Amino acid sequence: MFARLPLLLLLLFITPVNVRAEDGPLPPFLKQHCVRCHGAAKQNAERRFDVLPRTIDNSNVLAEFQDILDQLNLGEMPPADEKQPTDAERQQVVQWLTSTIDDYHSSHRATGGESILRRLNAREYRNTIRDLLHLNTTMFDPTVAFPRDQTVEHLDNVGDTLVTSGYLLQQYLMAAESVIDKAVFPLLQPEVKTWKFTSNFKQQPEIDQVHGKTNGFRHMTLYDVPGADKPEGAYGPIHAFREGVPFDGIYEIRIRAEALNRNHPYSDAIVGTDKTEPLRLGIVPGDHTVGSLHLPQPMEPLLAEIELADKPAWYTVRVWLDAGYTPRFTFQNGLMDARNLWKKIVQKYADEFPEPKNPGIVEHRFNAIKYGKLPQIHLHEIEITGPLYDSWPKPSQTAVLGDAAATVLESGELTDAQMRAQLQVFASRAYRRPASLDEVDRIMQVVDSQRQSGRTPLEALTDGFKAVLCSPAFLYLEEPTRDGTSATALATRLSYFLWSSMPDERLLELAANGWLSKPDVLDAEVRRMLADEKSDAFIDGFLASWLALRDLGSMPPDRDQFSDYYRFDLKSAMLEETRQFTRHLIDQNLSISNFLDSDFTFVNKALARHYDLPAPADIGFHKVALTDRRRGGLLGQASVLTVTANGIDTSPVVRGVWLLDNVLGTPPSPPPPDVEPLDPDIRGAKTIREQLAKHRTNASCNDCHRKIDPMGFALENFDPIGQWRATYRKKQPIDASGEMPDGTTYNDMQSFRAILVAQHELFCRALTSKLLAYATGRQLEAIDRPHIDQITDQLQEKGNGMADLIRLVIHSPVFHEAPVPN
Amino acid sequence: MSIRSYQRRTFLKSAGVCLALPVLESSEAARAASASRSVPQRLVCIGNEFGMYPDAFWPKADGRDYELSPLLKPLQEHRNDFTLFSHLDHGLKGGHFAIHGFLTGVKAADARNLPEGGISLDQKAAEHVGAQTRFPSLAIGSDNGVHGGCQMSWTRTGTRVPPIPGPRELFRQLFLEDGAEARRSATARIQLQESILDAVLGDANSLKRKLNKSDGQKLEEYFSSVRDVERKLELDRQWQQVPKPETDLSEPVNQGLVKDMPAVYDLIALALQTDSTRVATLEIGHSFAVQDLGIKKGYHSLSHHGKVQANIDLLVQIEMYQLQQLARFLDKLKSIREPDSDGTLLDHTMVLHGSGMGNANSHTNSDLPLILAGGGFQHGEQKRYPAEGRSRVPLCNLFVSLLQRFGVETDQFGTSTSTLTGLS
Repeated sequence: MFARLPLLLLLLFITPVNVRAEDGPLPPFLKQHCVRCHGAAKQNAERRFDVLPRTIDNSNVLAEFQDILDQLNLGEMPPADEKQPTDAERQQVVQWLTSTIDDYHSSHRATGGESILRRLNAREYRNTIRDLLHLNTTMFDPTVAFPRDQTVEHLDNVGDTLVTSGYLLQQYLMAAESVIDKAVFPLLQPEVKTWKFTSNFKQQPEIDQVHGKTNGFRHMTLYDVPGADKPEGAYGPIHAFREGVPFDGIYEIRIRAEALNRNHPYSDAIVGTDKTEPLRLGIVPGDHTVGSLHLPQPMEPLLAEIELADKPAWYTVRVWLDAGYTPRFTFQNGLMDARNLWKKIVQKYADEFPEPKNPGIVEHRFNAIKYGKLPQIHLHEIEITGPLYDSWPKPSQTAVLGDAAATVLESGELTDAQMRAQLQVFASRAYRRPASLDEVDRIMQVVDSQRQSGRTPLEALTDGFKAVLCSPAFLYLEEPTRDGTSATALATRLSYFLWSSMPDERLLELAANGWLSKPDVLDAEVRRMLADEKSDAFIDGFLASWLALRDLGSMPPDRDQFSDYYRFDLKSAMLEETRQFTRHLIDQNLSISNFLDSDFTFVNKALARHYDLPAPADIGFHKVALTDRRRGGLLGQASVLTVTANGIDTSPVVRGVWLLDNVLGTPPSPPPPDVEPLDPDIRGAKTIREQLAKHRTNASCNDCHRKIDPMGFALENFDPIGQWRATYRKKQPIDASGEMPDGTTYNDMQSFRAILVAQHELFCRALTSKLLAYATGRQLEAIDRPHIDQITDQLQEKGNGMADLIRLVIHSPVFHEAPVPN
Repeated sequence: MSIRSYQRRTFLKSAGVCLALPVLESSEAARAASASRSVPQRLVCIGNEFGMYPDAFWPKADGRDYELSPLLKPLQEHRNDFTLFSHLDHGLKGGHFAIHGFLTGVKAADARNLPEGGISLDQKAAEHVGAQTRFPSLAIGSDNGVHGGCQMSWTRTGTRVPPIPGPRELFRQLFLEDGAEARRSATARIQLQESILDAVLGDANSLKRKLNKSDGQKLEEYFSSVRDVERKLELDRQWQQVPKPETDLSEPVNQGLVKDMPAVYDLIALALQTDSTRVATLEIGHSFAVQDLGIKKGYHSLSHHGKVQANIDLLVQIEMYQLQQLARFLDKLKSIREPDSDGTLLDHTMVLHGSGMGNANSHTNSDLPLILAGGGFQHGEQKRYPAEGRSRVPLCNLFVSLLQRFGVETDQFGTSTSTLTGLS
């Protein structure tokens, strides 16, 4: 070894590129223009070309050749400050690379890379349970204790990355039990009951000490919005009803409520509520075993929202509640941090309040509540009636017991044949293909052994259903096979792509009789599936995987600086905007270039205020035209601008990397391990731009940062939650101009956007690749490239419509074909 | 009977407990259990609501030769058994409203967005122990307190672990057998799950025949998961059959945490010693009523001393009591010899004493008053970390180090950036 090592090194140095005519034009080109930075001495961006084979002999080399070709086509390499090849040289190499790569693809299998067996991720599991058992999953999440799924390049559905562990299987066993019990029990329809509450409305220790003296707990009083940091009266629980409702079902809630002091006499700047809009009462579920009912809880869907008149009046809503959950009342457009507001009010309007004897939070709060006129909601009477059902047996019982459900539940009688038949039906739906005799036999063994331990036939059958939910046939998705032996696999792949859930009966039927693979039938199904609201799961899942929106909120914005984010629940609004925007592009088959620049977006009141746009009159989201294009496209959307900041300040580097990575699909190399990290100094007078300029004087940093930084500078006018700003906090002006690596310059966000729009081809390829990866549940490889190019070419011809793109992906051979047996 | 289990039994007897082990000795699961029990690592976390009065807590000097501060005087004997860390915290704000982040690093409202849902240090360790002990963890504390109280233990689902309220309930959990109904349903669940695993293993075998090689390899994960759960169920089954330890102690009466502290600490020590659990958490919260120390003013209002010396004196008196009890607990752990090793129980128990509150008078959650004892670390000094904003070290780095020592294979916890430098 000792003797050989130096020789090897020597060889590398002496014969870096041994040029021969039959090797083609690449080796001399590399030697002349590339090897100095990507050779034996230096391997910038971890690339080394002096030892590159002459031809493509494996997929690693394919990836390297493709990379070189892309860089040359983009004109990004050699760097602008290096000696440039002539046009003829460049063209010759580009042609040679293109044909060499084409030859490789045509001589290799046309299926692209390999899919790998993959299990349901948590999202898919939850949706599948909802559709398989017809369960209401508003506040039922069987996956709540599952370990978080690992992601790769933000994708949460890549087979390779989704591991199964003993811990997860244990959770599957527990989840199966809770799912099936919830679906089947109670066997008989529970009686409808009514609970009335008219007094003793204690809420939380902080405000109870005042309410006891001021109103004797005769009504519930709501002050804060749910997002308040130190909530006082943000969640109105009924403590006498803390155990919650006894059964899952619909409950009718009647409330006598009153909106007070909408037109309060204080400064709008201090109170911050909108005098023009009615006060809105919300209802969210609460579970006292999870934590205090007057504080935020992990499971908190908004079940109902009511606009209140200023005078006391009765309101009736019907909401779904799971057993054990109690309704809690919220003030959706209420105060922010009432705890701090008490003092501000009594001090600013001191004349209207008694002279404080012991100034402090306790007395300020008492005076502000007793003598003040801050907006608040009073609930005087609450009546809860239920459970009510649209049908009985409930849908989940019919889902597992079929038409016989009513009789079986009444009598508890079940023959062996009936049990087998029900298991066969249920397992076939759960496995998304007909269950085999063997499979049903094995479940029957569970049923039999449970009966022997004394379970009733019906109980034992439910135990069999639990086994179905733990089978690999349920947990792992069936992949399409090349020989087409499984027609249902295509239905499964389609449905987990567009619904993140199981295929419905119609899809499975079309698959079983062979029609689904016909292009026009497939097209019609895709249209039907996208029109179904289940496709919201696709929009959500894909945006999370493409734009990393899953991470929105993982770096919570600073509460002092960005209290609006919490007060108006901007996080939900931001996500909703991007969802509705994407939905609109699909529905109208609008061009994907709208993602880069558009003349419309979707906002609700809070977001309109955030963007400084005219607010829509009604609650909810509305499409608005953008005359000022600053908000046009994804880069003007607060979801993207917030997820690319850290909640405290912005970094052009983070935003630049995000853009290169997700929007253009050209991720920069990670920083070299020995590099000194940039330590933003927010106290000093230096702007981030000045700090980065210093960073770029270092040659090894400059290599990547000349590409990254200009991408981020253009977005500096957007603060960490996507609000427009003209200056930084220390009043330093913002310079949003920049110079791209090829020397093109821009002055601001608008002119930068034009540069980006011109990169349509790159953007289109990046989006297509991501969509294809999401659709097939695997990372793409160099060998998939011809299929991606084919899709983007066809898309171009069709006019770049988003719905067309989805259809092209579904028709692509990559979507249909699967692993080659080896 | 092997010598090892013989020693263990005499050891338990001498500690005032008697554990019968007949069933465990026969099966494979029992061997697995006793092997993994050879020298387990434990974790005890103790936290209070209002921190420690900084001027009386922090020693002036760093390193090994610091002079003990007034509050550390009770720990004099243990000076080489613990470490202090200046300028460690989670960077949280919110005063009382943020102290529940002591063991998680985040506020509960933000936890749902995090990869592990804001799980707390102790529960992360408890997940690792799993079914190897009867109780994955024991959390002792109270449901109330100023703005919710300590609230130290959180699961990955964002749920607070309901605390065991006092020594009586703790005693019952440790030594009294479950009711017949509870045992029946636990056994029935194990039986069902075993039966399900048999069936799905058949499904997996039949699926495997249809797969190509790489997918077959992927399915191996499922097979090994089935084996893991089978082992766990076997252990669960054993715990159903293994009687709880016997004790000569009689059931204690709850008298409030001030009076109960010695009893609670003793029971925690006993729980570790009998390997009933390896993770315990103690909240010094609402049930710690300072009237029982003869102090007329409230603990909360004293923590807002307003720099009035009389108030400070009383506050320090309360905190002194807590640290005296800690010293007594360390004495206890040190007096117990760890079987199958040369060391004491303290050598294999990490004791973290602290609070989510740094300075109650100013409501800050920075510079948390941490004391780390035991666990086999090199102790005896005050370690200083950067005080400046950007170069501050997250407390979660210490938690990563503790978890690694505990045996958890992880390089990340909460807001950590690495392990804690300087701790070995």
